[in-house]
Amino acid sequence: MSGLGEGAVARMLAEKRVVVCCGAGGVGKTTVSASLALAAARAGRRVLVVTIDPSKRLAETLGVQRNPPTPVDLPADRLAAAGVTRGGLAAWMLDPKLVSDRVVHDFARSPEEARRLLDNPMYRNITAMIAGMQEYTAVEALHGFVRDDVYDLVILDTPPSRDALRFLDAPDRVSMFLDRRIFNLFVPGEGSVIRRMATQLVEKVMDIAFGEQTRRDLQQFFDLFGSLLDHLNHNQHEMRAFFKQPDIGFLLVTSPAREALAEAEFFARKTRDELKMHLCGYVLNRSLAAQAGFAMPDPTTLPADAEPALTSGLSRLADLGRVERQQVEEHLALAAQLDGRAGDGFAWVLPMLGGGASDLDDLVRLADVLVADTPPGSTPAPEETP
Amino acid sequence: MHFLDRRVLLISGKGGVGRTTVAVALARAAARAGKRTLVCEIANPEGGPSAIGRLLGVRDVGPEPQLVEHNLDVCHLWARSGHEGFLRSVLPGKTLIRAALRSKAVDKFLTAAPSFHEMGVFHHLLSLVEAEQKGRRRYDLTVLDMPATGHTLALTGLPDILLRLMPAGPIAALLRRGQAILNDPAQGAAWVVTLPEQLPVTEAIELLDGLAETHMPAGGVLLNRMPSDPFTAPERAAVERWLDGTDGVFGEVAFRRIEAAEQARARLTAAVEAPVLDLPETDADDPVPGLVEALARHMADGGAR
Repeated sequence: MSGLGEGAVARMLAEKRVVVCCGAGGVGKTTVSASLALAAARAGRRVLVVTIDPSKRLAETLGVQRNPPTPVDLPADRLAAAGVTRGGLAAWMLDPKLVSDRVVHDFARSPEEARRLLDNPMYRNITAMIAGMQEYTAVEALHGFVRDDVYDLVILDTPPSRDALRFLDAPDRVSMFLDRRIFNLFVPGEGSVIRRMATQLVEKVMDIAFGEQTRRDLQQFFDLFGSLLDHLNHNQHEMRAFFKQPDIGFLLVTSPAREALAEAEFFARKTRDELKMHLCGYVLNRSLAAQAGFAMPDPTTLPADAEPALTSGLSRLADLGRVERQQVEEHLALAAQLDGRAGDGFAWVLPMLGGGASDLDDLVRLADVLVADTPPGSTPAPEETP
Repeated sequence: MHFLDRRVLLISGKGGVGRTTVAVALARAAARAGKRTLVCEIANPEGGPSAIGRLLGVRDVGPEPQLVEHNLDVCHLWARSGHEGFLRSVLPGKTLIRAALRSKAVDKFLTAAPSFHEMGVFHHLLSLVEAEQKGRRRYDLTVLDMPATGHTLALTGLPDILLRLMPAGPIAALLRRGQAILNDPAQGAAWVVTLPEQLPVTEAIELLDGLAETHMPAGGVLLNRMPSDPFTAPERAAVERWLDGTDGVFGEVAFRRIEAAEQARARLTAAVEAPVLDLPETDADDPVPGLVEALARHMADGGAR
């Protein structure tokens, strides 16, 4: 029905409603997310890809502006150029400040209160730095899209590494900051004697350390912001349950670099073992495994009258080739290892593309590799269309 | 004055470019050149293994500097250490200090309040840079492995933002003292580590712009894993023609990569005023020694001012 093939990635794209891409920074997660979205859209699904602060180039490639307030559909000519005919593809590049302003607007007790919070100097200057806020709002937005059933599939590109951790932990992590009880400490008012003493101590320390005005700004900030908490906290259980649903899958993106692999392992433990979420598999990006079966350049096979520069050039190319063949072996072993670790899931190999995979043609090429019946380099390898 | 003649070097760059490895190599090169050097990273509040510690073979990196080898210490920057040091320095009287340090409320406030984490890190960094021992500075050079891009700018931009919020008082004084060191081109510099590829080069240029906006002096760019080019121009042209008629040979990816790296490098040097230093591809299993050698050569060349 979906028009997607029999490969494991194709099945994931046909069956899941949400795919969350996790991995270390610099492994090409955003590119993989965009390629996955494109593959599903080409097969007729209505897809949204959500990324947080992607590179300017990707926004240009997709033909959307950076940081729009709501998801934008890709322009029709881009879609046509990428072979999307029946499905749809929208992209949303989240601007953290914008998202947090929206949360304030949506959940403040009154428009007047929203205004006061937005005008608070603490809020104006430092909201973007609030740990976990951004990730939390991304989760919340995602939840909304799924509930409203606007899209068949949402691909979420998480921020790199440490932040992605926060993303997975969003409800808990944010709660440390957004804990009502902590907030109340800084807001003058009633309470037990002990609490009043605690508040007094905090005030005294803050007045000396930061000055009275700053302390007042902070108190106002905490007071107003606290009104958002009840709403955010209320949703926590729902969010946790939401991420455990079987139609929400996690995908670990990695490169062959050791640090990236370690990070992927970390995410695997976290998502599958600790949080009991559904791990679909690994994508080994920028891999040479697809070159299994290539030939070595051999200057001795050149005709006797070949130009000397070619003969010496080919022997240098062969030097590079020997290193490369070694890497191919390593990457194949790596892919097999990941396949083993994936359990029921998959390990899919993506080739290294020349220019850093930045134009639409590159995304289409990667999309094709992703939804093929078997990953490149797997044996016995049926001929892949390039 | 060469590029290590500063009191603080911030090493920034996107994930995956080898930033931490380069930071460690830089610190080691400085230590071997006779500088008393401290290399540090910002502790992950969630815990987890220390990247610097792994490279230096130190198991438990903590907030107190520990000796790794001659002239080289390592530590973590802890927001909590910074907060504690700050409270000790501003609060009058031992009783209040004790009460504040013991108070869960104060601790939670400092953990939770926006930007206070960065402020604690900032204070800890400054206390190490200014530390004295036996009547002289404890460290000639502090090398900080910065977190990923967004957080780097959050940290270098912090003094300006907080000074807008609190133009006077002890925090303002602390921030100004820090700025006087970090933003002085003779004392502080930010280096951007990147790779000779299209996207990373674009991001390095953007990061340098971002750093300039936060008044952080640009040391330059360390172009990591720059492939060496074994081909002469005629060989390159001949191989290029031969590859046009041949499919599926080993070595083509590496061949194309050399070309792309040269192009990326040319674009970078055209776009930035700061010096660009090449670092070679080194042993993937043990990358630090090769980088230390390359950096020592750059120092000997008088590389980059």
